Amino acid sequence: MTDVLHVLIDSLLAAGLYATMAYGLAVIYGVMRIINLAHAGIMMLGAYATFTLFTRFSLDPFLSSVVVVPVFFAGGVLLYQTVVRRLPRSGSTPSMESLLLLFGVWLVLQNLAYVLWSGDTQSILTPYTLKSVSLAGVRVGVPALLVFGMSALSLLVLEFVLHQTYLGKAIRAVTQNRDAALLSGVDADRISAVAFGIGTAFAGLAGTLLSTLYAFTPDFGRTFLLKAFCIIVLGGLESVLGVAAGAFVLALLENGTAVWTTVPTSLQDALSFTLLVLTLVVLPQGLPGLLHLLRAPRRG
Amino acid sequence: MTSKRALEVAGMLAAAVALCLAPSYLERGTLNDVWNVALAVVLASAWNLLGGFAGQVSLGYSVFLGIGAYTTVLLALSGVPPAFTLPVGALLAAGASVIIGLPTFRLRGPYFTIATIGVGEAVRVVASGVSFTGGASGLRMPPASFDFESNFRAMTLLAVAVVWIALLVSRSPFGSALAAVKQDIDAAEALGVNSTRLKVSVHALSAALVGLAGGLFAINFQYVSPGSVFDFRLSLTIVLMPIVGGVGTVAGPVLGAILFGWLQLKLLSTPALLNSSLFIYGALLIAVMLFEPKGLLGLVRRLLARRLRRFYVDA
Repeated sequence: MTDVLHVLIDSLLAAGLYATMAYGLAVIYGVMRIINLAHAGIMMLGAYATFTLFTRFSLDPFLSSVVVVPVFFAGGVLLYQTVVRRLPRSGSTPSMESLLLLFGVWLVLQNLAYVLWSGDTQSILTPYTLKSVSLAGVRVGVPALLVFGMSALSLLVLEFVLHQTYLGKAIRAVTQNRDAALLSGVDADRISAVAFGIGTAFAGLAGTLLSTLYAFTPDFGRTFLLKAFCIIVLGGLESVLGVAAGAFVLALLENGTAVWTTVPTSLQDALSFTLLVLTLVVLPQGLPGLLHLLRAPRRG
Repeated sequence: MTSKRALEVAGMLAAAVALCLAPSYLERGTLNDVWNVALAVVLASAWNLLGGFAGQVSLGYSVFLGIGAYTTVLLALSGVPPAFTLPVGALLAAGASVIIGLPTFRLRGPYFTIATIGVGEAVRVVASGVSFTGGASGLRMPPASFDFESNFRAMTLLAVAVVWIALLVSRSPFGSALAAVKQDIDAAEALGVNSTRLKVSVHALSAALVGLAGGLFAINFQYVSPGSVFDFRLSLTIVLMPIVGGVGTVAGPVLGAILFGWLQLKLLSTPALLNSSLFIYGALLIAVMLFEPKGLLGLVRRLLARRLRRFYVDA
């Protein structure tokens, strides 16, 4: 019984981070139909930015998000205006050009990190990194709790922006139907720039949060990028809730196999990649599609 | 037209003979560089069969190189000569490509690409975790299995053969069907093209060629580890070469492979540039995508066409 509780709590905590990570991808995909491979590089850069703020200015890693989020938002808008915008507009499905272009951006970012911070493995060690508290009889690391808090907060803010402001409504409108949004007077180009900024800011925030839990190198982020793909394929793009549900399913699978099966931890990551391929192939509509299938009346 | 074909055949044969005799008139260092370029040509041209001709961009090609390399090492360790290990490696690579292709080819465009990243990473993680690959420390070939001259001949001949295959495919009905799938898969299906079977077969062909190169790779370097053959960066370079050179053409991947071979030598010999390889690759990719999606070959053709036009207009 404690096992079950343990797995559930760990999964919930991990899911918060995963959702933050995945939402950055989802918003860019939704508005522009672009698969942002540079997402991994931006998360890596976010981790290093936090690292530098911590070592140089001894700024607490969680507080550094106050700097990281706006800077990365501006960086994302800049990246959109200088590079992404010049791509030929892709239709309803993402184009190969945008994928490869952002792949190039990822490589450039990686090289930048090698030059600025060298290839050594870095990590952030704060006085509370190794502390843990007891939660309903389960030991939980303090950083993991703080990460969950930050993720939940960011997702709540996002949910508010998406539903209560003009900007958010415009983003959702473009996601649902770009042409219809244009017809009703939404400046899709401006919304795209803002969405790219939001996606980049979320990736930067995810990097900050990841840096408090994991060690990182300039090659960091690929595993998490694939997990983020897995989550948005599972959860769909329609809602923050869907993304969160996808994140929870992935985290549950990872934690569950770690506790209840004998799959060695070195093979853990292979699991989420396999889940990614399986979901893409078997359930391209994700969890909402599955729900829809179950709910639909069977035809005799 | 027939004279042009004859010229091409003669050119291929001449290249094959010249490369076969190369060990007698070139230095060992130069031969090594040629070997590297030949490997690059094999990988780029073989990838281009699927990625260029059929338009299915896969970022998981290190899997096939790794299978070829590991087959050769594992069989050589149990005493099988290379003449047998290489074809077995090619067959296994082709088999793996079918297993990977059957489910993933249901996906289109970028979704297929993402699935191939997932497959490649899963294979790398599993290969590092299981024991028969030697784990993270890798495996060494048995001593006395190394003969550079025959390895050199095999690799360069393979390179010529792959380019020839690409040329033949591009002209065959098979090639036309691939082009149809690339342009509009629904229209191709409506015209009676079985796109899945087509994609699976061209995937198997190119995987077998990459598997052969993997076997030669293992013999030349005498050492294989999951980190060296299943590396994501390898998959990445395999994709970059044809795209920079000119994707979907016969000459483009060769051009890209030669450029990358040259770049790699420059990077290795210039310490100041050693740390900027990713930057150069990334910048090349961005530049090609923004300004010339047809790659270097497209650029050359455009410049030539402009000059010709000026020539005729002025005359």
